[in-house]
Amino acid sequence: MKVQVKNLRKHFGKTVAVDNISFSFDSGHIFGFVGPNGAGKTTTMRIISTIEEPTGGDVLLNGISVCEEPELARRAVGYVPDTLPAHGDITVHEYLDFFARAYGLRGRQRTRSVEAIEEFTNVAGIRDKHLRALSKGMKQRVSLGRALVYDPDVLVLDEPAAGLDPRARVELRELLTVLAERKKAILISSHILTELTEICNGVVIIERGKILETGTIEDVLRKSSPRRTVAVRVLDTQNAPLLKELLQTPFVENPRDVANEVHFEFAGDEAAACDVLGGLIAKRFRVIEFRQTKANLEDIFMNVTKGGVQ
Amino acid sequence: MNVAGIKTHFAGWRDWELNPIVVKELRQAVRSRAVTIMLLLFLAGLFITSLGFLISQSFEVDANLRLGGSMFSAFAGVLAFCSLLFIPLYLGIRVAVERQTFNQDLLYVSTLSPARIIFGKFLCGAYVTGLFFSACMPFMAFTNLLRGVDLPTVFFILAYLYLAVCAVNQGAIFLACLPASLPVKILFAIIGLGFCVSLAGSLVGYSFLMMEEGVGAMMSHSTFWNNAMTFLAIIAAVTGLFFVLSVALIAPPSANRALPVRLYFTGAWLVTGLIALSWYWWQPVSPYVSVWEFLSFILFLFALLVVISNADQFSLRVRRTIPANRFKRAFAFLFYNGAAGGLVWLVLLALTTYFITYAVLQAELHPVHHTGRGAVVTTVDQSDLEFQYKLGIVLLYTFAYALTALFLHRRFWPQRPAKLSSLIAIILAAAWALMPGLILFFANKLSWQSIEGEQLGNVFNVFSMRDASSLPPHLLFASAWLALAVLLNLRWFFRQVKNFAPLLPADPENQPPVIG
Repeated sequence: MKVQVKNLRKHFGKTVAVDNISFSFDSGHIFGFVGPNGAGKTTTMRIISTIEEPTGGDVLLNGISVCEEPELARRAVGYVPDTLPAHGDITVHEYLDFFARAYGLRGRQRTRSVEAIEEFTNVAGIRDKHLRALSKGMKQRVSLGRALVYDPDVLVLDEPAAGLDPRARVELRELLTVLAERKKAILISSHILTELTEICNGVVIIERGKILETGTIEDVLRKSSPRRTVAVRVLDTQNAPLLKELLQTPFVENPRDVANEVHFEFAGDEAAACDVLGGLIAKRFRVIEFRQTKANLEDIFMNVTKGGVQ
Repeated sequence: MNVAGIKTHFAGWRDWELNPIVVKELRQAVRSRAVTIMLLLFLAGLFITSLGFLISQSFEVDANLRLGGSMFSAFAGVLAFCSLLFIPLYLGIRVAVERQTFNQDLLYVSTLSPARIIFGKFLCGAYVTGLFFSACMPFMAFTNLLRGVDLPTVFFILAYLYLAVCAVNQGAIFLACLPASLPVKILFAIIGLGFCVSLAGSLVGYSFLMMEEGVGAMMSHSTFWNNAMTFLAIIAAVTGLFFVLSVALIAPPSANRALPVRLYFTGAWLVTGLIALSWYWWQPVSPYVSVWEFLSFILFLFALLVVISNADQFSLRVRRTIPANRFKRAFAFLFYNGAAGGLVWLVLLALTTYFITYAVLQAELHPVHHTGRGAVVTTVDQSDLEFQYKLGIVLLYTFAYALTALFLHRRFWPQRPAKLSSLIAIILAAAWALMPGLILFFANKLSWQSIEGEQLGNVFNVFSMRDASSLPPHLLFASAWLALAVLLNLRWFFRQVKNFAPLLPADPENQPPVIG
């Protein structure tokens, strides 16, 4: 299943919520959708899930247009909204059973499917509880179960980790990894970027309805911070000689004292880094630590976004 | 569905399942506090009413042989008011909450078809109504034992009240589906409740009449069945109209939303027209046909506002279904999405209605045409023909306003949504009606005489004029304006006709997508 977002635009009156964005993702991949509040993430996800009509552009799910054939597209998409199920007066099992019926599952197939999803999302123990009696985390699981009960090829999850406790977050991560292994194409938005870095293959960073960065996590990291930061710790307490030495070393920029370490930007490749380390040791610096500090999604997010909303 | 499809459908009857919406809605209804409280209040109302009657009767010395009838009337009143106010409100609120713009219930983006969703909601309303009526049934059957009402009357009144509540339920679902903001929906709900109160009053009044006559005694007369069948046909037509409109409202914008509505509208217009004409044939008095014409024109007016709100572009999925055959395509043009086709469709219906009624009025003025059915009492006079004349002018004005609005929208606000056209048409009619009055008011020259005087272009003036001699100038003005509006829209119309073409099958981009 290939999901292609093509020149998508959405206006609410004069407000441009989504401004001509394009990206695509594929089966077996988890794609992170990142942006500050009001960036247009939820609107984009609602368009992919056929809830909203775009002002322009289209989303194709294996060639099926969500604008032209929303009924066909709906079979392929499971949407987990940021708002939780509102039907307080029915039980978890009845809720999942209703959506299984609504997506055309019948008889034993429906029973099997609902039971399997209850097991998978770990809500079997609360299947007879009313939705209004559930905690936020449990409702989130039910919502995920609802999206999965008819086995869609694409999953669109809007802030699924919001409000979950650490254990539930870990379990959600595991669930998503399993789903990706089952060849689902997953688009997930979250503000917990460290978690996205761990599970996502690709990422789209969006602000004010426009895409700022997109690609695989590695590509985006590389593109956003082409110079790696290297940290060096030597046994001597005085870093001044080391700083002086580094200033004369090729590819090294901006060496600085950070706590007991010296940090510097390094523009060379890994072989050049080896040479720098070898040079320091040859000049009798007693190096006990020489490491690259990794930039993460959070750093890149902070670098590329400005926190603006439409 | 073809014959093989129908066979397969019935062969698999063991796998038939209830509409999922019905299952969910009923599960929720039986747990709903609102339904439980209302049912308990309703039962308490019935109980207190019966108790009141029985206690008051115990003070009477003579036996009241019509006590059953009086109690039944009171029960019918309680039932009608409770079910006509509560059940539509309950259904309408549920649908309106589910269809909030920014928090739409996900069932509307499932693979359930819009028709199944609306039918499920309707069925749920019918079941809840059945619940209320079942609760009332023992009380009503009990009144038969107290004399004053026969069982056929009990069952007949219950049946027609039930059908009326079902029709109002569908109306409430339609109002809840309208793409309006919450305050507007609340306004609709208040207006709807007002209508329900008046309807309940009328239905209860009519049931009193039937009880006085006794349905058992009336059943042998053909008039009773004619009236009953007419009532049934009206209820079915109204329910069906609200149903197709609701389905169209929740269908995706890319779908051919106009097709089922226009087909249904045409079918209902045709059937009601035939019924009116057949009645005219048996009892040759024109009011049947005139009533049909008048009601049709009111519906045409609403239809015209919807038609001019149609977008000009045809979606790919609509274009895929446009027939290649020219004759079929010409027919499809009238029924598919689009303002141009819709206008032709409405013009055809309106002109046919107008001239059929005109012919009937003329025929009644010259009863020689009604041969072999005895003497004919003519009820038509000059005022009826004058009314028909005025209706014709109103028709011309209405289309002139609509076409002018279409032109103004295209010319000045082409980027704005197509529904702006209907707003322009309404503003145009209202402004033209109000401006002369306002100007005269500020010039301190406003009087009844000025209002009843000739105001060319003001559609409302046609009916408020004191002097019928002003009608020809109105006719001329309306005709000239319509002709001008047609000319202004001619290029657009032909462009629409040209655009109404099927997709070329050779283009792989345009092929219907296949999942998997």
